[in-house]
Amino acid sequence: MITPPGYAIRADQLTCDFGPVRALDSLSLEVPSGIVFGFLGPNGAGKTTAIRAFLGLIDPSAGRAEVLGFDTRREATTIRTRCGALLEHPGLYERLTAKANLDFYGRAWHIPRPVRQDRIRELLTRFGLWDRRDDPVGRWSRGMKQKLAVARAVLHRPALVFLDEPTSGLDPVATVGLREDLAALAAQEGVTVFLTTHNLNEAERLCAQVGVIRGGKLLAVGSPESLRARRDSGRVRIAARGLTEELVVSLRAWPDIQSAAADDGQLSLALRNGANVAPIVAWLVQHDVEVEEVVKTRATLEDAFLDLMGLDAAGPALGRGDA
Amino acid sequence: MIADIWTVTWKEWQEFRDQLLSLRRGGLSALILALILGVVAPVQLGPEWVHSRIVIAYWPFLAATMVSSLIADSVAGERERHTLETLLASRLSDSAILIGKIIAAVLYGVGFAVANMLIGLVAVNIAYRESAPILFAPQRFAVTIILTILASLLMAGIGVFISLRASTVKQAQQAFGIAIIVITMGPLLLFNALAPEMRESLVRRIADVGESRMETYAVGMLFVTSAIVIGAALARFKRGKLVLD
Repeated sequence: MITPPGYAIRADQLTCDFGPVRALDSLSLEVPSGIVFGFLGPNGAGKTTAIRAFLGLIDPSAGRAEVLGFDTRREATTIRTRCGALLEHPGLYERLTAKANLDFYGRAWHIPRPVRQDRIRELLTRFGLWDRRDDPVGRWSRGMKQKLAVARAVLHRPALVFLDEPTSGLDPVATVGLREDLAALAAQEGVTVFLTTHNLNEAERLCAQVGVIRGGKLLAVGSPESLRARRDSGRVRIAARGLTEELVVSLRAWPDIQSAAADDGQLSLALRNGANVAPIVAWLVQHDVEVEEVVKTRATLEDAFLDLMGLDAAGPALGRGDA
Repeated sequence: MIADIWTVTWKEWQEFRDQLLSLRRGGLSALILALILGVVAPVQLGPEWVHSRIVIAYWPFLAATMVSSLIADSVAGERERHTLETLLASRLSDSAILIGKIIAAVLYGVGFAVANMLIGLVAVNIAYRESAPILFAPQRFAVTIILTILASLLMAGIGVFISLRASTVKQAQQAFGIAIIVITMGPLLLFNALAPEMRESLVRRIADVGESRMETYAVGMLFVTSAIVIGAALARFKRGKLVLD
């Protein structure tokens, strides 16, 4: 397998087994260079395992992957040299100052001292942490630590950065702040970002492409727009008076209607492909329903995601985005 | 590789320094220990503290004990504080990380022992002023330093194994405490378990060997043992295993 130019990651039938547990199941994926790619999935879906495999921290049981054109089994050190990572935990040395934390990783990447000092100053200033540079990190808030961990991940100007749930556990304000920082960073540094999250709002705002994984299997991949389009087969919300449960039950029997639910004068319908809403409205009017408004709603990434998970929107949802 | 080892050693020292400079986080206990071992004991024992043969075992033991507490923090602590995986995701090699940590701990242990030796020497010379300065015999001093380094290396290697199996620093230190008791008391208990005539014969044979040759044997034995233990630790300290532990 040779990674064609323009791809940061290319996995081919990548499989990782831990004893009887299959954490990654024949994952085939191509991530173009220079974009923010979101890897979505519930807890235990295999997102972290995929990052570990891409970084060459674990060997796959079968299949293979190339990161920046390097084989994860044979050229893991080269991959780690050219990538940055913020893993499950910030991974900061809490007894050390922010500056010392970055200095250590700068030394590890053999960044010459003057360049290192300039880069540390640049990143700490960009993330609004420069004034606290000499504080031990242990005294910082979680949001500040996450920002510092992101700064560490991009310190050596990697071509590809892995961010494993970077906003997990942050309050809404810190989440928005970090999200904006990530977007600016990706744009300014021209770096490919591989981001795992179960915050769908975050993925929708940040990512040019997303992949959805469950039980180690890749269920879908594409732009958030294309995933939403799968679900845009026709969701219609009808504000009406005089809706009865009998009418809703009758509607569910229509061949063009996939699902129907009424709540507080709002009728939500999911239409099958190509179905027209006009006959439904006419039928409702015939049955003495006063139709006030008909709105074709656009599916969100969450709708598409839940669809892929085999859940409806009222089911046990994942993080719908806290900001 | 050498630059990477030095980078890890530098980071470890930054963390040790922070602990030592903070009285509450270990600086006070180090200060008390230095006062007892470097001032009180030498002043009480006098010139015997300098000339006794026991120093050959005392300083290596002291350094190894210091190494044991640090290596547990350095290895098990990385896991406990969730910094290990990030470190493994860097470009640093497994061996550079481990050797850097071992060197940092050994430097600390040996440095602590040597500092106490020097403080003690000053204390003895002040308390027991003689016409000539009271000094360690050069050969014994050299052997003591070599044994101190080797004992520290051995303890660091054992510490890596113990720490890799422990999920917390506390757990590693407890296991270490038991290991130190077994290592120090074990031979003594074995000796006592021997029949009286065997014990006498063993003592006679050791006495016949002579001090200088005994020192050579001790150095050789510690060198081989520590090389084996550290080699095995290097083989065990692998990303693939560590990430999944």
